[in-house]
Amino acid sequence: MTKTMNKGFLYYLLAAIRMIFLVLMLLFAAVPLLQVFINSFRSDREVKIMPIGLPKDWALNNWPETWEIGGYAQAYLNSLLTAAVVIVVVLTLVGLGAYALSKLEFKGKNFFMAYFFVAISLPTFLYIVPDYFVMNKLGLVDTRWSLMIIYSATQLPFNMLLLRTFLSGIPRELEEAAKIDGCSELQCFLRVTLPIAKPMFLTIGILVFVHVWNEFLWANTFITTESLKPVATKYVVFTGQYGSNMARIYTASVITIAPVILLYLAFSRRFIEGMTSGSVKG
Amino acid sequence: MNPNKKRKIVPYLFIVPAFLLHACIVTVPALSTLVMSLFDWNGMNQAAFIGLQNFKEIFTEDKIVRLSVIHNIEWLLIFITVPLILGFVVAILVSQLRRSQMFFRTVYFVPYVISAAVAGKIWTAYMNPYYGLNQVFAKLGFENLSKVLWLGNPKIALAAVAFVDNWHWWGFIMVLFLGALQQVDPTLYEAARVDGANRFQELIHVSIPGIRQTIAFVLIMTVMWSFLTFDYVYIMTNGGPANATEIMATYIYKNAFVKYRAGYANALCVIQSGICILLYFFQKYVSKKGGLEDD
Repeated sequence: MTKTMNKGFLYYLLAAIRMIFLVLMLLFAAVPLLQVFINSFRSDREVKIMPIGLPKDWALNNWPETWEIGGYAQAYLNSLLTAAVVIVVVLTLVGLGAYALSKLEFKGKNFFMAYFFVAISLPTFLYIVPDYFVMNKLGLVDTRWSLMIIYSATQLPFNMLLLRTFLSGIPRELEEAAKIDGCSELQCFLRVTLPIAKPMFLTIGILVFVHVWNEFLWANTFITTESLKPVATKYVVFTGQYGSNMARIYTASVITIAPVILLYLAFSRRFIEGMTSGSVKG
Repeated sequence: MNPNKKRKIVPYLFIVPAFLLHACIVTVPALSTLVMSLFDWNGMNQAAFIGLQNFKEIFTEDKIVRLSVIHNIEWLLIFITVPLILGFVVAILVSQLRRSQMFFRTVYFVPYVISAAVAGKIWTAYMNPYYGLNQVFAKLGFENLSKVLWLGNPKIALAAVAFVDNWHWWGFIMVLFLGALQQVDPTLYEAARVDGANRFQELIHVSIPGIRQTIAFVLIMTVMWSFLTFDYVYIMTNGGPANATEIMATYIYKNAFVKYRAGYANALCVIQSGICILLYFFQKYVSKKGGLEDD
C-alpha cells in the first residue's frame, strides 16, 4: 500500500518537473516573439529603457508610421505578386511532373527521379554566382522577373517529390476508369487526380508562399532598387536606416512576419507536415 | 500522329518543363561554377584561364579561408549537440503527453516558420548593448552580464549568433523526432513492459532504435548544412567583428558581390561543396557502422 502511494507521489513529482521544463521551453520559443509584438505598442523611450515589459502608455503611432516610412505597401505588393506567380508556376510544373513520375511509365523515369532527388541538396552557393552574372547580361537583375524565375526553379525538386509521394498513394484504377471513358492523360490529371490531390496542392502553395515571403539571400543580392524590394529585404534595409528608433524596428518586425504567423496559426498542421516531410524517406 | 506514339511522348511533355527550368537555373550554372573556378574573372569582362591559381591562393595565401572553415567546424560542433539533445529530450517528454501535445508542438515550431531576416534582427535588437537585454540584467543586479557586448566581442560573437540560429532551429528538430516517435510500433512498448523494462530501458531499447533513421537523417542534414549556413551570420554580424564570425558562405558572398572576384568565389564554392560531399559520405559511413542506418 505504502509502496504504491510512494510511487504515486514520485510519478506526480516527475510529471510536475516535466511540465515545468516543457513550459520553460515554451516560453523560450514564444516570449521573444510576443515581446516584439508588445513592444510595437510601446514608445521608443520606454522600449529603450526596458526592452521587456508591458506598455505603460499605449503608443499607437508606431504602426502607421512604420508602415508609411518603411514603404511596406509597395513591399507587400512586390512579395505578393512574386509569390502568386511562383505558386502558379510551381503548382503547374510540379503537378504535371509528379503525375508523370507517379502514374506513367516511360524511359528515363528513374533518371528524372534521381535528378530531382539529388537536386534537393545542391548548395545554393554553387549556382548563385553564375546565375547573377548571366541574368545581369540578360538585363534581368534588379527586376521582379529574376526572383520569380529563380524561386520557381529552386522550389521544384522538393515539392515534386512531396507531391509524387502523395500521388503514388492514389489508386491508379481511378485514372484508368477515366481513360476508358475516353479521357486523355491531361484530362485524367485535371478531372481525376487534381480534385483528389487538392489538399496537397494547398500545402505546397502555402509552403511556396512562405518560402518566397521569407527568402533573403537571393532577394538581397538581385534587387537593389528600393521600390522593387520584397518584404524581408525591405525590412533589413529599414532596420539599418532607422536603427535609432527601436520601437519602429520592433513594429517593422511584426509587420514583416504577420502574414506568415497568421497563415501558420490557421494551417499549423499543414505547415508542420509539409516542412518536415522528406525526413522519413531520407 | 498515331495514338501509340502519342502515348510515348506525353510523359515527357509532363516532366520536361520542370526539368528544363531547374536545369537552366540550377544544374547548368552549378556545373559552370566548377569550370569558372579555374578562371580569373570579375563577372563582367573576359575571363582569363589561370589553371589552379585560385586554389593555390586559397590553400597557401588566404588566411581568412582557414578562419572561416574553423568557424564552420565550431558551428557544426554546436549544432550537432545542442539542438539535437534539446530536440530529442523535449520530443520524448512531449510524446508522453496526451491532449496538450499538439499545442506544445505548434508553439515550439513557430520560430522555425518566420523569416531568418526578422529572427536575426529581433535578436540583434535584444542583444543591443545599450537598449537590449543588458538593461534587464542591470536591473536584476547582474553587473557583469549587463556589460557584455554579445555581438561586438570577438570571443563570443559566433556563439551569440549560433544561439539565435538555435532558437529558430531546435523546434524543427524536435518536431522531426516527435513525428518519428509517434510512428514507433506501440506493440514494441507493450512487449518491453511485459518483459519488465522500465521507462529508461524502454527509451534505450525501443524508442532510440525505432527512430534511428530519423536520427541519421538529422545528423546528415546538420553536418552538411553547417558548412552552408549563411542567413543568420550575414544578417547579425556579416562576418565581423574583425572576421570573428566569418564563415565560408559569408566570405564567398563578399568575394562574389562586394569584391567582384567571381572566379575566386567560384573556387571557394567548389571547396565548400567538396567539404559537404566528403562529410556526407563520412557521415553515411559512421551512421552505418553505428547501426543508425540499414543498407
